[in-house]
Amino acid sequence: MHKKLFFLITLLAGILCTGMTTTLLADDASAAKVQKLIDAADAARKEAASVGGEWRDTGKMIDSAKELLGKGDYVAAAKLANEAAKQGHLGYAQAMSQKDLKMPSYLHYE
Amino acid sequence: MIGNPKKLIGMVGAITVLAGQFIISPMASAAEGTSATEKGKALAFDRMKGNCLACHNIPGGAAPGNIAPALIAMQTRFPNKADLRRQIWDATIKNPESAMPPFGKHGALSEDEIDAVVEFIWTL
Amino acid sequence: MKKVFQTLALIALACGIGVTAQASTPEQDLQAFQNFFKKRFPSVEMDDYANGAYAIDPAGRENWEAIEEFPPYEPFIDDGKTMWDKPFTNGKTYSDCFPDGPAIAGKYPYWDKEKGMVMTLPLALNQCLEANGEKPLKYKKGPINNILSYIAFESRGQTTNVVIPKDDPRALQAYEDGKKFYYARRGQLNFSCASCHIQNAGMILRTEILSPALGHTTHFPVYRSKWGTVGTLHRRFSGCNQQVRAKAFKAQGEEYRNLEYFLTYMSNGLPLNGPGARK
Repeated sequence: MHKKLFFLITLLAGILCTGMTTTLLADDASAAKVQKLIDAADAARKEAASVGGEWRDTGKMIDSAKELLGKGDYVAAAKLANEAAKQGHLGYAQAMSQKDLKMPSYLHYE
Repeated sequence: MIGNPKKLIGMVGAITVLAGQFIISPMASAAEGTSATEKGKALAFDRMKGNCLACHNIPGGAAPGNIAPALIAMQTRFPNKADLRRQIWDATIKNPESAMPPFGKHGALSEDEIDAVVEFIWTL
Repeated sequence: MKKVFQTLALIALACGIGVTAQASTPEQDLQAFQNFFKKRFPSVEMDDYANGAYAIDPAGRENWEAIEEFPPYEPFIDDGKTMWDKPFTNGKTYSDCFPDGPAIAGKYPYWDKEKGMVMTLPLALNQCLEANGEKPLKYKKGPINNILSYIAFESRGQTTNVVIPKDDPRALQAYEDGKKFYYARRGQLNFSCASCHIQNAGMILRTEILSPALGHTTHFPVYRSKWGTVGTLHRRFSGCNQQVRAKAFKAQGEEYRNLEYFLTYMSNGLPLNGPGARK
């Protein structure tokens, strides 16, 4: 009887601990993933900046993503980081598309 | 006999913990009862979102700009809804010198938001 | 027959090369630029472009003329005179750096051949301060606006006359860089400076009339009601960039100095009338 009880309690404890450990490990894995996304976003931002194409809000988005990561809100942090990365890429593409001066058609040269 | 309740507790506990790993919090449901057209209008008039009134006169809007054509007779001007959506998504496709921001391409409005705005503009 | 074809081909080639190689000169740019506004606003006198939107907005002009009776920038001019007259710790004054001063606004911006860069007035003022062991001033807000107001006021009536020296190709490059900046789309909203101030000059954005680019540089520093104070040209550049959701560049950095060089050149011939008052 005691043996059985002891076994059951140990089993329950083991399950709970494994559950917590799994959660913690999953947390670490998520945090690492999100950090990678934030790093990628910042790299994209810097690339845009290197050609004078950084957008106004990209840096702030990355800062907010870092804050969310710190709070453990991985889903929101990841979403924001991805949005920031998109801004970085678009800003870079925009600057590159404007590299060769195109005078507008409404200016008339004789 | 006395083992059973303990076993039951153990099993319930195990299931709860394991299930807890997989429970996805329910998505916040969208505002019930707001049609796409109403959502679109709100977005179009919102200075931080579409801010369409900055350049376009829109029925129902106050203090519009006059930079761009008034948004009326839209279904005549854009018989194809997809063309209207494309114009909002990136107006420079049609006119490379357009002054209209590419709301979709540059993510100023999300794809869902653009869908709602299109629904609204389509009614004008 | 072969010879005819060869000759024709040579002519075609020469024409082709001629067309592609010909970029516009600053003089041609100036003509095209000023002609655009003459055509769009045929009733506006050239000199009046120095008054910005008030040259094309009668209602706004009335308000502005009332404001100009008790100009909000006056205290800044007075404080600026005090600054100009006050000796540095080492006993020297601004006059030692600028013997022609204080009416020196018309000399700027200019191509500094020695330093290989566009020299602007705020930059020159800070170089004077630093050379005399004084702390440099911030370029957007604060006391620089006082001394700039004083200098601008004393320089009223001078004529915008930016020169692009032909003996230094780097000067033309700086002008071209500024020009490229002006016409390039930027920011999430994808506007170029030209989108609003040339293409849509005179149109109404929400409740505001878009001022023409011609005349933009004549009246700085400017008292802006929105700022509740006087601010510099580079502060306005910065604000405009942010309004189109682009990250602003550094005040008195290379981008904005080259932009100022191009933009001021485009107002060549217009009178200086700073400091100005604007909405």
